[in-house]
Parts: sequence; structure tokens; C-alpha cells
Amino acid sequence: MDENKVIICRCEDVTLKEIRDAIREGFTTVEEIKRVTRSGMGPCQGKTCGLLIAKEISQMTGKPMEEIELQSIRPPYGGITFEEVTKGTVMENDK
Amino acid sequence: MSKIQNLELLVVGGGPAGLSAALAAANYGIKVSLSEEREFLGGQLIKQTHRFFGSEKEYAGTRGIDILKKLIDEVNKNNNIEVLLSSRVLGIYEDNIVTILNDHKMKKYYPQSIIFATGASEKFLAFENNDLPGIFGAGAVQTLMNVYGVLPATNVLMIGSGNIGLIVSYQLLQAGVKVAAIVEAAPKIGGYSVHASKLRRLGVPILTSHTIKKAIGKEKVEGAVICELDSNWNEVKGTEQLIKCDAICLSVGLTPLVDLLKQRKVKTTYVSELGGYVPLRDENMETSIKNLFVAGDVSGIEEATAAMIEGQIAGLSVAKRIGKNSKDEIEERIEEAKNELELLRSGPVGKKIRKGLSKLGLNHGKNYNEKFSEEALDISHLMKTGVPSEENLKNKLPSEEKVFDKGPIAISECFQRFPCDPCVKSCLFNAISENANINNIPYVDFEKCTGCGICVSKCPGLAMFVIHKNFSETTSVVIMPYEFLPRPHKGEIVKVFDREGKYLCDGKVIRILDGKFQDKTAAVSIEIPKEYYLQARNFKVEEGNHG
Ligand code: SF4
Ligand code: SF4
Repeated sequence: MDENKVIICRCEDVTLKEIRDAIREGFTTVEEIKRVTRSGMGPCQGKTCGLLIAKEISQMTGKPMEEIELQSIRPPYGGITFEEVTKGTVMENDK
Repeated sequence: MSKIQNLELLVVGGGPAGLSAALAAANYGIKVSLSEEREFLGGQLIKQTHRFFGSEKEYAGTRGIDILKKLIDEVNKNNNIEVLLSSRVLGIYEDNIVTILNDHKMKKYYPQSIIFATGASEKFLAFENNDLPGIFGAGAVQTLMNVYGVLPATNVLMIGSGNIGLIVSYQLLQAGVKVAAIVEAAPKIGGYSVHASKLRRLGVPILTSHTIKKAIGKEKVEGAVICELDSNWNEVKGTEQLIKCDAICLSVGLTPLVDLLKQRKVKTTYVSELGGYVPLRDENMETSIKNLFVAGDVSGIEEATAAMIEGQIAGLSVAKRIGKNSKDEIEERIEEAKNELELLRSGPVGKKIRKGLSKLGLNHGKNYNEKFSEEALDISHLMKTGVPSEENLKNKLPSEEKVFDKGPIAISECFQRFPCDPCVKSCLFNAISENANINNIPYVDFEKCTGCGICVSKCPGLAMFVIHKNFSETTSVVIMPYEFLPRPHKGEIVKVFDREGKYLCDGKVIRILDGKFQDKTAAVSIEIPKEYYLQARNFKVEEGNHG
């Protein structure tokens, strides 16, 4: 199998080779691999690659899947304008 | 400045689980806001043109799209439910404030309780050239075809034989697309046997213990190389073969869409039987965060029927907590729903789910009768090939040949224990019994059966046939379910096939039942030479005959 032709993260175009290289270099969490390869940073936010990367880590390190965490996920879940963020908010009852 | 709005219950996701959750809570006076990312409600149901399995009570035998219409209708009529369409939940914060993007504005809400019914996303597969145009997820293919009426390709290779892979393959054929083969890495078919059988009858090969090695093509998919796998899932040398196709459809499973739950730091754990990372939760669907509930695929991958019941349980649990009265009645409802779920999961196909749930610490102490849940028949051949064995058939046919002399009788070619009962419920003469448990295999009581053919249209697995052996001296008639276009004309000569899609003989159409009652599953009576009455199980209408 040509690892260079297997895509793991479709949004950021990260190949199986890049993921395996990162694991070999000692990055053995999904979060670390995200930071060094950009996998999971695209529009789908790791929905495609997250599980595949976790499985790859499990296979290469022998760690069971149950012990592997997915990357952290933070709000916002999609794009918004800065204006919306900076406008500020009050509670409904406060007036 | 925008204001934070207080809510009683926020339901996130307008699919079967979310709709059921909203209704269950709203019916007990809870004010519900239902937030859906898309511009319409329905989730996956909007593309489910096939009939559902499951229990009659939860709409089995009804098409997914029709179940949806009923649910949406109820939701729209309910004054306690406010529907927010085109509303994407962007964030849920530690203080339980939820932000929703609607009309380019980020609106902020403070719900007393939340039910996440966000569903699942499709799994992806790692193989060479897996980024070529023409490689689709099965869900995407279904959306293109059944929602937007767009054909994805002309000749598709399906990867994965779970129910979605089988159903989408069948729907591709209905849309006039060729299905080159269905490839399954496991040694047995993942979905229900009845789905597999109807594809085999249409001539689609199902290759178990096979996998895709690479996609072939320059600009787009032109084919795929597949190979055989041994019992350790390793490639068997020298078994590579090239399959020509212009699209590869991946149906390799779903995984719960837990992103929002992870934002709120709900505890999740990996459970392979439930599709991936799932939230920890209790039997009332409440997660590790108080007043935050889940329902449907986000809590573990299962069928839509289970998702609807889970939605009810979550909705009722919220109603019980917030509501001031009817608590006993609600509690009773919750118990009923739980029992129904347990029944659905009690057969052999529920085994995986049961195992997954027990990893979450659920259903301990409940007595699933594991002995009951073993298969009653040896269906290993059927699950490997999609074609029932001689033994299986013998089990379902009359023990004595002379039973056929009494006139037309129904034959059920359903051999697997799975939760389904429309055949039983549809028969006016109570001629189909499955002995009280929905997971039992249906048997026809040939004494009671009148050969009316009602069950032929009602069975979602297309597994009911009526056979009139002695129609004439030399011919028999078989009533078969038919869901393709064009429909045959009375008197037309059609090609008749066996259970493996092999041509048997020509047959003559003598009657077509295709009214409102049949609901697009026509019951077509085909006259064939007598020698084939036990084999003829499918027919094709020649395009040329219809001008
Ligand atoms: S053919 Fe009619 S009577 Fe016979 S099992 Fe089917 S529905 Fe019942
Ligand atoms: S024969 Fe009955 S149990 Fe089997 S698929 Fe048809 S309706 Fe369901």
C-alpha cells in the first residue's frame, strides 16, 4: 500500500504517511497529531479523520482504543462574525 | 445588546429521536424549543423511502418518509413546541448557556434542560486513492437520490453490507443505477438477511470476506481493486480483482456525533459495539451532566425505531423532572418505553447493542434471555451469501406436498430472528404467528391462510410470497412483491428469476395489485411453468415492452 496515496484527513489533505510519521516521532494522542499535522482542523472538525487516527495510534502503540481520547472540541462549532462575539449579552430578566 | 433567553427544554436535532423527544415532553406541558441545523425537519428519515422494520406500535411497515410526515404534523400542531429551523447550535458552555446561529445572528439561550439528539456521522475508510472524485458516503448517495432526485453515477461498487449498504444498494437499483457488487470485509453480511436476499434475487453479488484495496482512475473513479480476506482479516495472495465502476459508495458504519457533548465535557468512552465514542448515560438517557440528556444515534448507533423510543424516554424524563403533576403517569410511560426497547433488543441482532450497553454499565440485572436470543435456525449460509439454504427453505415450506393442493398459500422466506412484525399484524386471518415475541421467526399456518396476498405488500423485507401450485394442469402462479418502475401490464410476458438472480423461465403477468393499500409495493401474480413454483422469486420487466 502506498501510504502517500491514502488520505486520512480530507479537509486538510493529510495522508496516512504523515500520520504514521508523527506517531513514530512520538506524538501518540489525537490532540498532538492534530497540532503537528493540522488533521481535524478543517471544516468537518475531525469527524472524518478522528476515529481513523485513533485506530492508527492504537495499532502502532498497542494501546487499546478505550484509552485513546479524541481531540478536544471547543465552541463555536461553525463560523460566526466578530461583531456577534463582541456585542455582549445580558440576561433576559435583567433588562 | 442581545439578551439571553430562558428556555424550559432545548432539543438539539430534528431527526426521529429529537422529534419524539420534543413531542413526549410537550405532551406533558413542557415548553420545548427544537433546534434543527437544516432548513427542514426530519434528519435521516427524509431519505428513507423504504418500509421500516420493528414493531407496529412504532410504525413498522410504514415508509420512513411517511413516519416523518406524521411526526412533523404532530410537532406543528403542538403549541408547546417552537421549531427553530436553519439553526445551528454553535456552542454549549460550562454555565449551560447555549449559542445558536440563526439568520447570521448568534442567539443565546439558557435552557433548564437539554436533549442532544444530534445523530451520527459516517465513518470513512483508508485505502489508496480514497480521495478520487466518485467516492461517496452512502448517506450522501441517498441524499442525492432520494431528496434531490440526482443520480450519483451509473455503476456503483458498494463497500459494506450493513443495513444502510444493503438499503442504499436496493434504492440505487430502483433509481436505475447498476450495482456492480457489495463488498463486505467480515465473513458474514452485516444487515438483515431479508435485505440481502432481495438484492441477490436482483442479481447483485455480495462478496463477504472481501475488501477494497484501492480505487483506480485518473480524474475520477474508473474502477476498484478488491481482494479476499482470510479468517485473520489478512489479504489472500493472488485474489486481487478489478471491478469496473464509476462510483464507490462507502457504507462502513456510523459513529455518534458527540462534538457538542464534548464541548460541555460530558464523559464519553469508546465502545466499538455502539459505533465509537459514546456518552456515558443512565437508563433515563441522562448524561454525566445533570439535566443534559441524549437520545438516538448520538448515544450509540442503532435503528431509527430505537432512536424514537429513546427520544420518548428522554422527553418523558425531562417532563417528570420539570413537571408539577402527572408524575406517576409519566413514570408509567417511561417504564412502558423501556420495556419496548428491551424487547427490540432481545433477539440475536440485538446482541451487539446489549454488549455495548453493558460496557456502559447499563441493563445490568435485567434478564435478557440469552438462550432465547440464539438463532433458531442455522442461517450461516444465508448470512454468508444472502441465499437461504435448502434446509432453511424446508423449514418454512409445508411438510407435506399435498398442502399445496388446497389452493394458494403464503410462504414466508424470513429466517432470521430480528425485531419485526408487520407480517403478523397485517394478516386478517391470524395466519402468521411468531409466538408473542417480536424477535421470533414468523411461520405461516397453512390451514388458516387464504392466500389473499395482503402480507406480500406489507412485509418490509419483501419476504412474503403466495404460491398457487395448481393454477392449471401445467402452470403455477406466484404472487411476488414488486417495487420497480415501469410496472408490468396485465398479460405481459416477463423474465422470471430465482433466489440468486438466475434466469429461470418466462412468466405471464395475470394480476397486479397496486393500489393505495399496497403503497408502492405492488403484489404481482405471475404464471409460470409448474416445475418452477418453488424457485421463482423475482421478475424483471423488459424496458422495450413499454413504449
Ligand atoms: S396470504 Fe393473506 S391469509 Fe395468507 S398469510 Fe398472507 S395475509 Fe394472511
Ligand atoms: S416476514 Fe414478517 S418478520 Fe420477516 S421481514 Fe417480513 S414482516 Fe418482517
